Amino acid sequence: MIQLKNIDKYYDAKFQRTFVLKGVNLDIEQGEFVSIMGPSGAGKSTLLNIIGFLDEPSQGEYLFLGDPANKLKEKQKVQYHRSHIGFIFQAFHLIEEMNVYENIETPLVYRGIKNKERKAMVADMLDRFNIVAKKDLFPSQLSGGQQQLVAIARAIVGSPKLLLADEPTGNLHSEQGEMIMKLLKKLNDEGMTIIQVTHSKENTKFGNSIIQLKDGYVTEK
Amino acid sequence: MKNMLFKVVLRNLTKRPFLNLVKVIGLSLALTGIIFISLFLKNELSYDAYHENAEQIYRYTLTDPDFLNGKHFSRIVNPKYVETLQDEIPEVENFMRLSPVRGGLVKHGERFYGVSQAYEVDSTFFQVFNAEVVLGDKKQLLENPASMVVTESFAEKVFGKINPIGQVIYLPAGQYYGKEQKYTVNGIMKDFPVNSHFHPDFIATPMQNPFQNGWAWTYLVLAKNANPENVKLSLTKYLAKVYEQDTDAFDTEVHLQKLNEIHLHSNKLREMEANGNMRNVYVLAIAAFILLVISISNYANLNIGMSGFSAKYLFINKLLGSSKRSVVRYFFTEGLFIVLATLLLTLLLSVPLNSVIGKYFSLNLWQNNAPFVSFLVLLFAVLSLALGMLPVLKTVFANLSITKNTSSSVTFGKGGISRGLIVFQYAFSIALIISVIVISRQTNYALKNGMGVHENNVVIFESVHASLQKKFEVFKQELLQYNSIQSVSAMMEPPGGEANDMFPFEMEGYDADANDDKFSRIGVFPCDYSFASLFHLQFLSGTNFTQNNIDNEGAGEYIINEAAMRRLNHSHPDDIVGKTFKLNFMMAEQTGIEIPRGKIIGVVKDFHLQTLKKEVEPLVMFKRDKLWLLNFAVAYKTGMQDAALADMNKVWTSLFPEYPFECEHVDAMYQKVYKAELLQARLLSIFTVVALFICSMGLFGLALIITQHRTKEVGVRKVNGARVSEILVLLNKDFVKWVTISFVLACPIAWFAMNKWLENFAYKTSLSWWVFAVAGALALGIALLTVSLQSWKAASRNPVEALRYE
Repeated sequence: MIQLKNIDKYYDAKFQRTFVLKGVNLDIEQGEFVSIMGPSGAGKSTLLNIIGFLDEPSQGEYLFLGDPANKLKEKQKVQYHRSHIGFIFQAFHLIEEMNVYENIETPLVYRGIKNKERKAMVADMLDRFNIVAKKDLFPSQLSGGQQQLVAIARAIVGSPKLLLADEPTGNLHSEQGEMIMKLLKKLNDEGMTIIQVTHSKENTKFGNSIIQLKDGYVTEK
Repeated sequence: MKNMLFKVVLRNLTKRPFLNLVKVIGLSLALTGIIFISLFLKNELSYDAYHENAEQIYRYTLTDPDFLNGKHFSRIVNPKYVETLQDEIPEVENFMRLSPVRGGLVKHGERFYGVSQAYEVDSTFFQVFNAEVVLGDKKQLLENPASMVVTESFAEKVFGKINPIGQVIYLPAGQYYGKEQKYTVNGIMKDFPVNSHFHPDFIATPMQNPFQNGWAWTYLVLAKNANPENVKLSLTKYLAKVYEQDTDAFDTEVHLQKLNEIHLHSNKLREMEANGNMRNVYVLAIAAFILLVISISNYANLNIGMSGFSAKYLFINKLLGSSKRSVVRYFFTEGLFIVLATLLLTLLLSVPLNSVIGKYFSLNLWQNNAPFVSFLVLLFAVLSLALGMLPVLKTVFANLSITKNTSSSVTFGKGGISRGLIVFQYAFSIALIISVIVISRQTNYALKNGMGVHENNVVIFESVHASLQKKFEVFKQELLQYNSIQSVSAMMEPPGGEANDMFPFEMEGYDADANDDKFSRIGVFPCDYSFASLFHLQFLSGTNFTQNNIDNEGAGEYIINEAAMRRLNHSHPDDIVGKTFKLNFMMAEQTGIEIPRGKIIGVVKDFHLQTLKKEVEPLVMFKRDKLWLLNFAVAYKTGMQDAALADMNKVWTSLFPEYPFECEHVDAMYQKVYKAELLQARLLSIFTVVALFICSMGLFGLALIITQHRTKEVGVRKVNGARVSEILVLLNKDFVKWVTISFVLACPIAWFAMNKWLENFAYKTSLSWWVFAVAGALALGIALLTVSLQSWKAASRNPVEALRYE
């Protein structure tokens, strides 16, 4: 599903080039649950962003579902965001100006799904995550765990093929964290490909492979 | 989709009501200003253009160095010969003379009615000027002598509901030796439009030819392709022939001024109404343009500053699959809300403003201008939408690709343009503040220096009718019996008026031949004996008039001002007092009026009868009984205004029951003299406040951007022990620098402009350094206040918040 070949990512300063990623090769199949680990500054988030079309590699080839990413037009990337990729973050990143219901609904709106269908799909999600009672609340009125639940609901409401999670439990206490990880595991069992960035060994247990990054290199798979 | 967008935009807008209100108020103030300035300019530029022949009509004036010192009057004297010009000069197709109807009062039935403007005209009036006749046949209205056409409003004032046609209006016998005249109303015309350079209450054909003797504003209609320069030459030749002089030696100069240029390009003596001037038009046009530029650029600045607030929303939306188009749509919707609110507020501001303007300047600027206003509003809306949104989109798109910036702000490049803009605006604002102070100071100075304004206890009965002038002595004696009245006098010209009359003179020891001055004259000012004391004129030498208004031949009394003393080649007041002096009235033979020979009995310090714009001219004051005392002045004792006015009213109505009791305080009269300057000062102060507000809007936006940008720096500094005050200094330092640069830029420009402006005045205040200092301090204060609202927040913030996600 995802193939990275010799990916470099660097920033040029006046007299030196700083590498964030160097010669990264990766192959991730559909249905995998991959954990990317590594110390701070290893390039984990950058790698995730490149995979999620939020950033571009400086060099190398990235194939998404067989298509070379560097040849994708802006429109196609938007299309992938709409239908193929879901994101969750350590900081949840819910839209403050929208309530729970609207947050979950937004990606469906962008996909052009009709109102009636949207309602059904959002209701389904609310039901599934047990947050029906919270649907009119705004993010600031929810606990961290609840916010992350909503964020996940929003990420998967359109049933994307790939879920990218950047330290999904980083801001949560352990109980909530475990609840979220179990949920991810369940989604993976249902067939969703998941790539998570994490610091926690515990969390890697929910996945089926680990990629170790250090100073931009993949040191272990 | 749309619903959701609206909802989010609305929630976002209401989340920061203050900032969004600032945007709306800033734009509304600017739009309101632009609309009214444009309407005013449109009105100014359209003066007299509505006449069908406007392009061919010229006002004909003359200057003659031997006649009243070559002063340029807007009318000409004794224009009888104009009737024959058509035969002499083929390019002259038609002519029109307007001779002012004397007196300011007409009589219908037993009542008198005030007339503000009226003319005796040639029967060609309707051929030359476009005036809409409501009742009567244009072609026949003015065929007979003594036919009158009144305007609708005057007809209503005099006749009410009665049909005025065939009614008789009398012009009472009065000043300038006129006899009673009788006119028959033949027709009604519409009131003249605002953009006409004159607004008569009525026009009438004369009973006898009034153009033989006297003044008339004279207009010539030239042939379509006529060259006015050639016509001027022909006119000069013709006049030389009439006066039997050699054309080359003939020094009277002919002037032709296009009708539609009178309002903005004419500043002659005795204009029919106060005119505008082109400089004001330019200044206002520039003002409107600057309003447009600064309002929209500051709006954009604030938008960029605030786009940081939406950065997260936009970023997440991108993740969720929003396209660029929906980002555009988001900002467009946001802009649309702001612009709509702006339009609403503009409407709320404009309606009362228009009625205020209508009340004070009798101008309905909105009339017939709906398409023009709509166009302006639309243009402004589109410009502010587009220009307010584009830079934001540019910044947003440039930054969205860098994912790191999700939680902090949109970056702001080097900000060169925005900072340049802020500097420019502040320079502009500082210059404005300086101008406001200078103009207000000068206007105040001018108002304070008018005569009789010192205690503000003098009222004037302006241009009273000749039959009242005869009873002045009785009026004075009656009034003086009241305890509330301090002093009563009368004079030729009211305060603020023009003393243009000049008589030939003789003086002991003054040799007109030696001064090559044979025909020369000196300014004269007939007055009552109490004039100098009532107006507190300061005697440099000699004494005041004796306490009666009658002079005998040989014992005449003359008081001169300093300027006259110098004009008469003396430099010490004591030397000239006691010299024999005589004024020679030119029309002594026709009228039998003699001014007695006598002595110069006093020299007074120059006083400002006229506007301070003009040098004080040499003036010889002399007493007259029942003659030329057109304006009555009454001074009352301080603190007794109400009693005094009641007493005056009592005396007036007992003496002159049929004449309306109308008087005015001297300071109000001077305010009319400086109407343009007062208006300028008022408009400029409003404009300055608006400009400062808008500038602050931009500065606030910039402060917002910068503090967002430096959040982390501030956090780190605080963690390392910086105090709030130190952070404030850090954040405000740059702004102080910019305002200082603006100040340095503004000072020379303002100094130059204000020097130019002050050149309008012969007597002026100095451009003190403190004016500049105050303006600079004010601008700096406002800037710091604006910026500190933001810096304080940043500086007092808990650094943990700023650094949490870093």
